[in-house]
Amino acid sequence: MNQTTGPDRATGRRTGRGFGRVLVTVYGVLAFAAIGRSSYELVVKFHEAPVAYSLSTLAAVVYVVATFALAIGTPVWRTVAWVTVGIEAVGVVTVGALSLADPGVFGESTVWSGFGQGYGYVPLVLPFVGLWWLWRTKHSTSARTSEERTA
Amino acid sequence: MILALLLLVIALCVVLAGWAGWFVARDRAVILNQLWGGAVIEGLVLVQGVVAVVQGATGAGAGDPLLFWGYYATTLVILPVAAAWAFAERTRWSSVVLLVASLTVAFLEWRMWQIWTGA
Repeated sequence: MNQTTGPDRATGRRTGRGFGRVLVTVYGVLAFAAIGRSSYELVVKFHEAPVAYSLSTLAAVVYVVATFALAIGTPVWRTVAWVTVGIEAVGVVTVGALSLADPGVFGESTVWSGFGQGYGYVPLVLPFVGLWWLWRTKHSTSARTSEERTA
Repeated sequence: MILALLLLVIALCVVLAGWAGWFVARDRAVILNQLWGGAVIEGLVLVQGVVAVVQGATGAGAGDPLLFWGYYATTLVILPVAAAWAFAERTRWSSVVLLVASLTVAFLEWRMWQIWTGA
């Protein structure tokens, strides 16, 4: 969290500031939800549906990494954010489509089943907002820096 | 779980969310008094934890204990983390963060009640 106290203007707009602060918050909440869900599934009933529960665990790890990557926002972490948010976008669309085509395909439902309808479709919307935000904060120009100052 | 206490926590969360929402509309950042409000809610959540431990020890609560305490742990963590995260941002976006966190806690409280009663 204390990375936010030293704005590094040389690396462009920080992904964790301004609107990004809200984005990281929602990511954090979803990360908590996904960790809770997957650890419960792993401990209590992994043998019932290994594929579904492995997917839930993967989703949880990706959400946690994406949350930290967006919060820190240095060039390396920005790349990590692109990758993890990208995986989420692909994952939710792929798993969502597969789960609609064949509801029993993973044995049990996952965070991404039905395009994340169990979580109010937040898992579907969030990665695309995340990609938009990464794209929007990409360019490091003096104009954007002054915009940031007045924001 | 005591229903009255749970409803009080939810009501306070809604009030805090409304306060934060008003600040969003007025383009203001989170202020310290709002964090004190969050601290009051956090204190009540801690009381809920003690109550749930005592009730659980006497065999009350129909739901899955592991699931319940998983939700409880999340509920306990969200407000302090969100408060610190919001307070470091001195724009209206910090108020949006507090708004999201308050509503999340209210939702989690409702879920905890569902799990506790085995609904």
